Amino acid sequence: MTQTDVARKTSQTSGRDFIKVENLKKVFKKDDREVVVLNDFSLSINKGELISIVGPSGCGKTTILRMIAGLVEPTSGTVTVDGKCCQGPGPDRGMVFQDFALFPWRSVRKNVEFGLEVAGVPKAERRERAERYIKSVGLAGFENAMVHELSGGMKQRVGIARALVTKPDVILMDEPFGALDAQTRNIMQTELLRITDKTDTTVIFVTHSVDEAVYISDRIVILTKRPAKIKEVIDIPWPHPRDRSSQEFTALRRKILKMLESENIQPDGSTGTVA
Amino acid sequence: MAETENKPSGVVLKYDENNPLHHFLRSAGIATVSILTLLLVWWFVSLALRNPALPTPIEVFEALIYLFTVGDTMSSLTMWDNMSISLQRFAVGFLMAFVLAVPLGLVLGSSPKLNEFATPIYELIRPIAPIAWAPIFLFMFGARTSPSMVVAIGIFFPLLTNTIFGVTKIDPSHVDAAKTLGANGLQRFLKVTLPSGIPYIMNGIRIGLGVGWMCIVAAEMIVPIGGGIGYFISIQAQQYMQYTYCWAGIVVICILGLLTTTLADRVYKLITRRMGIDAD
Repeated sequence: MTQTDVARKTSQTSGRDFIKVENLKKVFKKDDREVVVLNDFSLSINKGELISIVGPSGCGKTTILRMIAGLVEPTSGTVTVDGKCCQGPGPDRGMVFQDFALFPWRSVRKNVEFGLEVAGVPKAERRERAERYIKSVGLAGFENAMVHELSGGMKQRVGIARALVTKPDVILMDEPFGALDAQTRNIMQTELLRITDKTDTTVIFVTHSVDEAVYISDRIVILTKRPAKIKEVIDIPWPHPRDRSSQEFTALRRKILKMLESENIQPDGSTGTVA
Repeated sequence: MAETENKPSGVVLKYDENNPLHHFLRSAGIATVSILTLLLVWWFVSLALRNPALPTPIEVFEALIYLFTVGDTMSSLTMWDNMSISLQRFAVGFLMAFVLAVPLGLVLGSSPKLNEFATPIYELIRPIAPIAWAPIFLFMFGARTSPSMVVAIGIFFPLLTNTIFGVTKIDPSHVDAAKTLGANGLQRFLKVTLPSGIPYIMNGIRIGLGVGWMCIVAAEMIVPIGGGIGYFISIQAQQYMQYTYCWAGIVVICILGLLTTTLADRVYKLITRRMGIDAD
C-alpha cells in the first residue's frame, strides 16, 4: 500500500464519525440546587455533513455547541474531532455567533485575518487567504470597511469568513441568522449552502427555526426539553435547492413542529416546564 | 389647501443639521453669544460694585496685553513664562498618572480577585481632595515637583476607575470569538482587551484633564516659589493687591483649560469613531 493509499484510507475512515460527541453531561450549579442541563448526549457526525440541532427554548442547544467549541467545560463526556480529543477552544472548531461577535475596531479584512494573525501566519499569506475568503462570502470590495458600516447580513458573512479562514474541521453555528430579517435570512441560508458545499465543511447548526433546519440540513437532531435528550434524528436526503412550499417540505416541517410542541405543552394543556 | 402650503424653498437660509459648515457656524454663533453675555454681566456687576477686587473686563484685557508683552515687574516673568511653567508641570503630572493608572487599571480590570482586594484601598484614598496632599508633597518633593504630584493624583483616579470599567465592560462574545479563533491569554489581552478598553481610557483622560487643571492652579498657590499661573495669582493678590492681574491669570486658566479639554474631546471622538466603539 502506498502512502497516498494509506492517507486516503484514514481520511475515509475518519469521514464517517468524523466528530464524535460521547456521553456529554452538563450540570450547572445554581444557588444550592444542581440543574441538569444535559444528560448522556451522544452524537456522531460525518465529514462534510450539515447537521442542525433544534429543540424547545432553553433546552440546552447552545450549551451543547459551546461544549463542542470548548467554551464550556462538560461535567463529563468527551468530544473528539478527527480522532483527536478536544480540550478547551481551538481553531480546529470555528464558531459563528448569533450576535456576530465581530471586533468593531478592526476592518473586515483584519477581522477575517484574526485567526491567522494569532497563529503566526506571515502577513502576505494572511492577506491573500483573507481576501480569498472575503471574496467567497461575497464581500469583495468591502475589505477595508469597518464593521459598523455593514448590514446584519454582511456582518454575518464576515463572521463566516472569519471562522472559515483557518480551515477548521467543523464550523459551529449558534443561531447565526437569528438576528437577521426573514428575507436576509433566506438569502444567507442559500449562501451558507453554497459556501460550505464548495469548501466541504462540516457544520453543526443550532437554530430556533424549523423551516431553516429543514431547508439546509442533511440531518436534524430534535431534542427534548431540559434535561435534553435526543428525541429523534431525521435524515433529509433531498437535493438542494429545496422548495419550501413543496408538499414533502411542509409535511416534514409540520411533523417536527408537532414534536417540539409536544415537548412544550403539558398533558393538562399548560405550557412551560415541570416545576 | 394644505398641499400648496409648502414652505418656499431657496429664499430663506435654512439650517441643515447634516451640513458640517452649518453645524460649526451654529455652535460657534451660540458660543459667541453666550460668552458675550457672560462678559456683559461681568462688566455690569464690576461697574455696579466698584470693588478693587473686581475690575472690568476691559481693565483685565489691558492687563493681559501688558503681562504677555512686558511681564510682571515684581517677578520679571511674562505670562508666557508662567504658562510654560504650569504646562510643563501639568504634562509631567499627566504622564505620571498615565503610566501608573493605565497598566494598574488593566491588571485590576482583568482580575476580579485583585480588584476586589484593591477596591477598598482606592475607594478610601479617592475621595481625598488632591490638593490636601500638596503640603506633604511640598515637603517630600520640593516646590518644583510638588504641583506635578498633585496633578498626578487628580488625574490618577478618574483614569484608573475608567480603565478598570473599560476592561470589565468587555463584550464576552468578543472573548469567546478570540478563544475559538485560537488566541491565547496574552493575545486576547493585547488584541481584544486592550482595544476594547481604549475608548474608556480616553474617557478617563478626558475627565482627568479637567480635574488636572483644577489641581495645578491650586497646588501652585500653596508653593511659595517657582512661578506658574497659580503662584502668580496668589502672589499678586496676597503680596501686591494687584487684583486685575489675578483676573488676568484666571482668564488664562480658562483659555488653557478649554483648549486642553477641547483637544481631548476631539481625540476621543476621533478614536472612538475610528475604532467603531462608543464608551458613552
